[in-house]
Amino acid sequence: MTKQERRKTMIIFALAALVFMIAAILAGDGGGEEEAIQDVMRDAVLHDLNKVSLLGLIDVNPGLLAGFIVSGFLILLALICRIFIIPKFTLVPGKIQLVLETVVGLFSGMAKGNSKINKFLGAYIFAAGAYIFTGTLFELFGVQAVTTAGRSISLPAPLSDINGAIMMGCLSYLVIMSGGIAGNGIKGIGKTLKEYSLPISLSFRLFGALLSGALVTELVYYYSSLSYVLPVLVGVLFTLLHALIQAYVLTMLTSLFYGQVSDNTPKPPKEKKHRKKNSKNKEMKQTAEAA
Amino acid sequence: MTGIPLNIDFQQILLHLFNFTILFGALYILLYKPVKNFMENRESYYADMDSKAESNLKAAENTKAEYDDKIRGLDEEVRAEKNKARKEIEEMRERQLADARADAEKIVSDARNEANREKDEIIASAQKEITDMVTGAMEKLALEQSASDAFDQFLDAAEQKTGGHNE
Repeated sequence: MTKQERRKTMIIFALAALVFMIAAILAGDGGGEEEAIQDVMRDAVLHDLNKVSLLGLIDVNPGLLAGFIVSGFLILLALICRIFIIPKFTLVPGKIQLVLETVVGLFSGMAKGNSKINKFLGAYIFAAGAYIFTGTLFELFGVQAVTTAGRSISLPAPLSDINGAIMMGCLSYLVIMSGGIAGNGIKGIGKTLKEYSLPISLSFRLFGALLSGALVTELVYYYSSLSYVLPVLVGVLFTLLHALIQAYVLTMLTSLFYGQVSDNTPKPPKEKKHRKKNSKNKEMKQTAEAA
Repeated sequence: MTGIPLNIDFQQILLHLFNFTILFGALYILLYKPVKNFMENRESYYADMDSKAESNLKAAENTKAEYDDKIRGLDEEVRAEKNKARKEIEEMRERQLADARADAEKIVSDARNEANREKDEIIASAQKEITDMVTGAMEKLALEQSASDAFDQFLDAAEQKTGGHNE
């Protein structure tokens, strides 16, 4: 196939997709879904309508189930890596080894760059980053679950559940506090408590970011007329982008604050006031001399 | 809806926490720690290699400096040896010259003695020869005088005889 032929085929496909989209918008009546969009979006925020059963024990938000699935997947992946890939590591890395080393090196380096006490921090931000990234991408796959009301829903990102986001925010705050204690003892607790708004800001930043993504996705998928072409942009690109951004933001903030509260180097004495005073004295002397 | 806003449920927060704790532990044990250990080992391996290379380089530089010193020392040693050898040669030459001078003197004195002895011998033999010659000559002379006298006498006698007759 020559270049011109390929270009022609692509143009035909694009035109066909556009025609289908316009036809769907013109022909559709806004979707034949069971729930109203208001209910869907309200439920995405509050999780009060659609609950899923956790092994028949309790009814939980779908985000928690998604969290367990994501964790299971990550643990399985880690297990596979541990058994099949890590023992075959060589001094000159191959492709998979390079990916693993880059990811571990990225978080380890971030921890090292921000704090002197970084062994635990590196491991924590690695796990948090992996969880946020994979959890956010998880909504792309549209894994189905049945609610307690018998409806079928696609599982959302674990951290678009407010409980998951609060857990992550508060845990990050506790980790930061542990850094403060490790670096400065009891003084470190005081240093951490100064940033009292941190758990709320961390939690709600995460929740807000992931919820907005979930809401936009819900909105797009709700109307069948918007289900052509647009999900490629909204669903895949946006999700990929904010998976990366959110993982980076939380890990970066955690390591920054951790570094701040664990830092035990004494502050240099302030010299500005003295300098100002000295310069004022000099000016006064000069004017007096001139007079 | 419950009394807590946004439907926050502490039980579910704890469940999320439980979930994440397990994930954290598993990821740390299965992935983070082994990969980081491997990376650190490799880093230390290369650091060791680097430090070894550095120490080898330092050792080589030290050895080089040592050898440079030695070479410099050797130059001085060679110079000293040369001076020493020159001195020895000078001394030897002096000694040889002295010996030669002594030999020459001895040879000259020997020659002189020999010459004197030979001279004396020659003089003695010459004297003897002269004496002999003089004695011989004297003898001859004496003989010749007596013969010629006799002959003269004979001739005189003969003349006298002949003269008397002729007259």
